[in-house]
Amino acid sequence: MGQNGEAQPLSPKKQVHLFYCVECEDLARKVAAHSDNITLQSINWRNFADGWPNLYINSAHDIRGQHVAFLASFSSPGVVFEQISVIYALPRLFVASFTLVLPFFPTGSFERMEEEGDVATAFTMARILSNIPISRGGPTSLVIYDIHALQERFYFGDHVLPLFETGIPLLKQRLDQLPDADKIVVAFPDDGAWKRFHKQLDHFPMVVCAKVREGDKRIVRIKEGNPAGFHVVIVDDLVQSGGTLIECQKVLAAHGAAKVSAYVTHGVFPKGSWERFTLKNYENPESAFSYFWITDSCPNTVKAIANKAPFEVLSLAGSIADALQI
Amino acid sequence: MEAHAFFSHKPHCSLFTKLRNPHLVNQNIKLQPVRCHSQIKSFDNNNQPRRWSFEFLRQTEPLHVIQTSNSPVSMAATSASESASKAVKKVCLFFCPETKALAERIAAQSDAIELRSINWRTFEDGFPNLFIPNAHGIRGHHVAFLAAFSSPGKIFEQLSVIYALPKLFISSFTLVLPFFPTGTSERMEDEGDVATAFTLARILSNIPTSRGGPTSLVTFDIHALQERFYFGDNILPFFESGIPLLKNRLQQLPDSDNISIAFPDDGAWKRFHKQLQHFPMIVCNKVREGDQRFVRIREGDPRGRHVVIVDDLVQSGGTLIECQKVLAAHGAAKISAYVTHGIFPNRSWQRFEPDNGAWLTAAIA
Repeated sequence: MGQNGEAQPLSPKKQVHLFYCVECEDLARKVAAHSDNITLQSINWRNFADGWPNLYINSAHDIRGQHVAFLASFSSPGVVFEQISVIYALPRLFVASFTLVLPFFPTGSFERMEEEGDVATAFTMARILSNIPISRGGPTSLVIYDIHALQERFYFGDHVLPLFETGIPLLKQRLDQLPDADKIVVAFPDDGAWKRFHKQLDHFPMVVCAKVREGDKRIVRIKEGNPAGFHVVIVDDLVQSGGTLIECQKVLAAHGAAKVSAYVTHGVFPKGSWERFTLKNYENPESAFSYFWITDSCPNTVKAIANKAPFEVLSLAGSIADALQI
Repeated sequence: MEAHAFFSHKPHCSLFTKLRNPHLVNQNIKLQPVRCHSQIKSFDNNNQPRRWSFEFLRQTEPLHVIQTSNSPVSMAATSASESASKAVKKVCLFFCPETKALAERIAAQSDAIELRSINWRTFEDGFPNLFIPNAHGIRGHHVAFLAAFSSPGKIFEQLSVIYALPKLFISSFTLVLPFFPTGTSERMEDEGDVATAFTLARILSNIPTSRGGPTSLVTFDIHALQERFYFGDNILPFFESGIPLLKNRLQQLPDSDNISIAFPDDGAWKRFHKQLQHFPMIVCNKVREGDQRFVRIREGDPRGRHVVIVDDLVQSGGTLIECQKVLAAHGAAKISAYVTHGIFPNRSWQRFEPDNGAWLTAAIA
C-alpha cells in the first residue's frame, strides 16, 4: 500500500540480507536503516593463532533462497583475504542471488602499464573478484562507485556483473542546499576528472585545470573557464596526499575564486594526509577549503575526520540501498 | 610436461611416478638466524652429551637445524649424477623477499637455475607497486616463482606477480609454494564454516595459463589430503614430501638401526606410513576423558627405541609434547621429532629449547 494514494511499484521489493566486513559496520547499519527490506546479518571474524582467518557465517541456513549481499572494504592488502574467503563462500549457500558492494575499488590509482614488467595490481584484484562463484541467481553483481580508471571496467570477466555507480548525485543534492547555490562553478583538476564527471555536472559552469611541466616542476594551470567571484567546487574521484587539490586551490584563488571547496568520492588519505586540510593547518583561514566533502566509501578515513572542519561526509547508504534492489 | 627440475623423490613412493631430472634440494628457509649451541641430555647409557647447533627463525618461519656433522647439500651429489646425462631445463627463478635465502640456495644447486629479481615497493596507500625488470628477457624461458604465504597480508602482492608472470610469453610457469597455509585448524563442520583453504586453492586455480599450459603448483606435505581436490583443472598440483630428507638424515644417525617412527594421530599415519614402511611404527591417538584429552599409544611399542615423531606441521607444539610424555612413560630410549612445516605461531618453538627436558630435536625442513 503506497502512502498518500501513490501507485504501487510495479515489482515487489527484494528482501536482502546484508553481511558486512568489520570496517563497514557503520555504513552497513545506515544502509539497513534506509529500507525495511534490508536485514543485517553477521559473521564471526576471528583468527587462528597462526594469523589465518577463522570465519563463521552465522545463520547460514536462514539465507537459503534469499537475496544476499556483502559490503566490503579493501582498505589495505592485509584485509583482503578474509573478506574474499567470505565472498567466495556466500554464493554457494543456496542463496537466491549475491551482490558484492565494494564502494571503493582500490589499487591502480598510481599505476600505469607503461612497460612490460609493470604489474597491474588492479587487474589482479579484478581477476580475484571475477572468480567469485556463481550462485543460483547467476553471476554476482558487483557495485563499485566512481572507479578510478574508466578502462578498469573491462578488467572484469563474465562471471560478475559490474554496476558502476557514482557519488555525484549526493554532491548535487548538497550543493542545492548551499546558500550560494546559484554561484557555484565546478572545477576539474585534470582532463581525467573532466572525462569522468562533466556529463553529470553539465548545468554548472566549469573550469578545467591541467598540470604543466616547467623544467623540473609541475604547475597547475587553468586550461579553460573562469572562477572569478564564484564558489568553486573542485571535483575528483579520489584524494591521496591532497597535493593536487592544494595546488588547484591556489591557482583558483589566484584567479579570483570567492570560495573554494572540494568533493571527492573516495577519501583515501594514506598516512593521515587529511590533516593538511583541517582548519588549524592554514595560516590564512581565508585560503582554507570552505567545505571538503567525501563519501563514506573509505570507513577508516570517515572515523578519522569525524567532526573535523571543513570535512563533511555524504553517505552512500541510500544509494547502496537502492542498488541492492537492482 | 617437464616442470619439476629441482625436487627429488624416492622412487618407491607410490604417488609420484613421473619425475624427471631430479635434484635434491635442501628446503630449509633461513631468515635472521639465532644460533645457540646446547647440550642435550639423552637417555642412553654412555651419557654422552650431543652437540647440536640450532638455527631458530623469528616469527613463523620454519625451524632449521644444521647438523654440524654433515651438510645436507651433499645429498644432492647422488642425484646430480643421475641427471647429468639428460638435457637440463633452464629455469628463471623469481622469489619474494621472504624466500630470498631459499631461492639462493636452490639456484646454487644447479647451473640451470638462474635467479631473477622483482622490485617490491608499495604505494602510500599500502597497495603494492611492483615491477618485473627485464620482462622481455624471460620470453621463451621456463619460469618459476618461489612463494611464501606466511600471513594473509602477504598474499596480494605475491599473487599479483603470480598472475602476471605467465602472460609474459614464457614457455612454462611453475609456482613453488612449499607450505600451503590455512586449513590446518579448520574443519568444515557446519554450514557457515568458511574454508579458507578452499579460497586459496580457488585463487591459485585461477592463475592464467601460459604457453606451457596450466601452471604447475609444487607444494610439500599438504595438510589435508582432500585439499588436493580443491584445485581446478587449470592448475597442475604436484604434491611433494619432505620425508625423503628425514630418511636420509635418519640413516646418518649412529643408532639408525634402533629407530621407530611414531605418528601423533591417524591423520599423520595415513599421510606418511607408506613412505616409512621399513621402520617399526607406533601410532598414538587422543582420547577424551571427561573434559580432558590425553594422548595414548594405540599400537606399537617404543621400549628401548629411539622414537621419531613424524607429522606434517607443528603449531603450538602441544601435541608433540604430549606424545613425548607418553612415549617416555612407555620406555622410549630417546625421542625426536620431525615436521615438514614449523609454523610455531607466537614463538611457540621456545617450548622445545633443550633445557625443557630430554628432547633431541632433529628436525624440520
